[in-house]
Amino acid sequence: MSETTPLQIGAEGVDVDAIVRELRERVAERRARGEYDEATVARAERFNLANLKDDAQFLERYLTCLRQAVQVDIDDFDIVERRARLAPLLKRLKRGIWCLLRFYTYRLWSQQNQINGMLLAATEIIATRDQERLDRIEARLSEIEARLDAAGKSS
Amino acid sequence: MNTAPHDTARRQLPRIAFVAPRLAVDGAVGGAETLLFNLAQLARDAGCDVTFLTTCARDHHTWENLLPPGETRHEGVRVIRFPVNTDRDIETFLRIQEAICTGTAVSDADEELWLANSVNSRALEEHLRTNTAAYDRIVTGPYLFGLTVAAAAVAPERTLLVPCLHDEPFARVRRIARLFREVRGCIFNTEPERELAVRLFGAELTAPGRSAEIVGFALEPFNCDPAGAARLGVTAPYILYCGRRELLKGTPLLVDYWAAFRRITGRDIKLVLTGSGTVDVPNGLNAHLIDLGFVSEQAKHDLMAGAVAFCHASVNESLGIVLLESWLAGRPVLVHDRGVVLREQTRRARGGLWFRDYPEFQECLNLLLDQPELAAALGAGGREFTLREYAPAAVQARLLEALR
Repeated sequence: MSETTPLQIGAEGVDVDAIVRELRERVAERRARGEYDEATVARAERFNLANLKDDAQFLERYLTCLRQAVQVDIDDFDIVERRARLAPLLKRLKRGIWCLLRFYTYRLWSQQNQINGMLLAATEIIATRDQERLDRIEARLSEIEARLDAAGKSS
Repeated sequence: MNTAPHDTARRQLPRIAFVAPRLAVDGAVGGAETLLFNLAQLARDAGCDVTFLTTCARDHHTWENLLPPGETRHEGVRVIRFPVNTDRDIETFLRIQEAICTGTAVSDADEELWLANSVNSRALEEHLRTNTAAYDRIVTGPYLFGLTVAAAAVAPERTLLVPCLHDEPFARVRRIARLFREVRGCIFNTEPERELAVRLFGAELTAPGRSAEIVGFALEPFNCDPAGAARLGVTAPYILYCGRRELLKGTPLLVDYWAAFRRITGRDIKLVLTGSGTVDVPNGLNAHLIDLGFVSEQAKHDLMAGAVAFCHASVNESLGIVLLESWLAGRPVLVHDRGVVLREQTRRARGGLWFRDYPEFQECLNLLLDQPELAAALGAGGREFTLREYAPAAVQARLLEALR
């Protein structure tokens, strides 16, 4: 990213406001290109959502996070063991337990994924309807204001 | 720290009682308590007659009376310890606290109950009552302890509150608003903290005749060695956080951002943590998150000097002492945009960058990694700011002004 950010050090020091402004513009461009639309980003924001709630684009970003995180990862994963002494034995034991549990967890998480998907769809429908309603109200308000202005001028 | 007062201040040097819930005996206390003792030392160095009143507690979870009561000296300051009340009704305290936190309406009686069952010391209050005439000023804080409210109530006309105010539900308790209005004045850490106080409790806080000074924390320059990190086993580039690891300090957010940064950019940057508390390490990153626990001040400063940046993701701070230390070590900081105090400190110091969300964090950190000369210039800006604004003589002059 730094390929276009010039080093700005004046007598007063670094112009940090200018750098932050430029970074934000770049983030906006990249966001528009869908560069941050991945589940890792969504997961990273889980503790930050409360800080974003006053942001004008909060709902939109929150829905993006939900979309990215809605599917629980039910794939197999690496089984690791930090206790070096008994690692091979403990790893085999853990793999055995996982083989026994896999059927139940797949079933459980598949159902969870369905529920998550339905909840997300419902939230998106509500958000879209609310936005449409707000747009209609704003359009109506502008129309009434224009009419009142016109009436005021003619009188 | 030894700074002589200027002549105008020397003429009216008061006798001061500093009141804090705990006193650092091994460095393991919160920032507010450290700040109060720092101010006490500055007042003592100025020639004031200083007594530090505190409790026998060391642990801020149990508040058990582990230290002996009575008079002692700590780093040249007269200290008197008093036992914490052992008859606290913790259940009542937590029940009301929960209601306050969730925004449920709480009656005046419940507010009083909440404070009465907070950390208090009847023995300390009694000392203040019987020795009121012996102190021209009582300096107490932080604001949300029963002990602070009780100490201020003994002689509000002589009391200066060091609130360490955050924008949090406790700041909206009516009894706390009364505390701010009843005392002689406040000693704030930063301009954003004072602005928050005015927004919450009214412009009368800064009315003529009331003390509302911004004083801050005195810091001496220190020697540090960026290579010191290697001696602690840290050889790769790293970002650093020092302090308590908890949700309110933004540590889980920082860990998540760092993990995402590693995964998305593929850059090998470690996260080094010092301080107390547990941290959940994301899967597969155990080898890259280096938790050093408590380290000496020298080791902390060395780590600061060797870091790519000091990262503080908290949005609830009234002063970032660790930011100032990091700047003295010559390194830049990365802070959360919503943490107004830290962001404004960083902006004024021209000592770092701030982010609102993960993408901005990623771009900021990439920039600091790609342009080491920029990182160095930001660190230098921060150092110059800290040396100017937080030099002991400058802080002492502001403190003496507040104590008048």
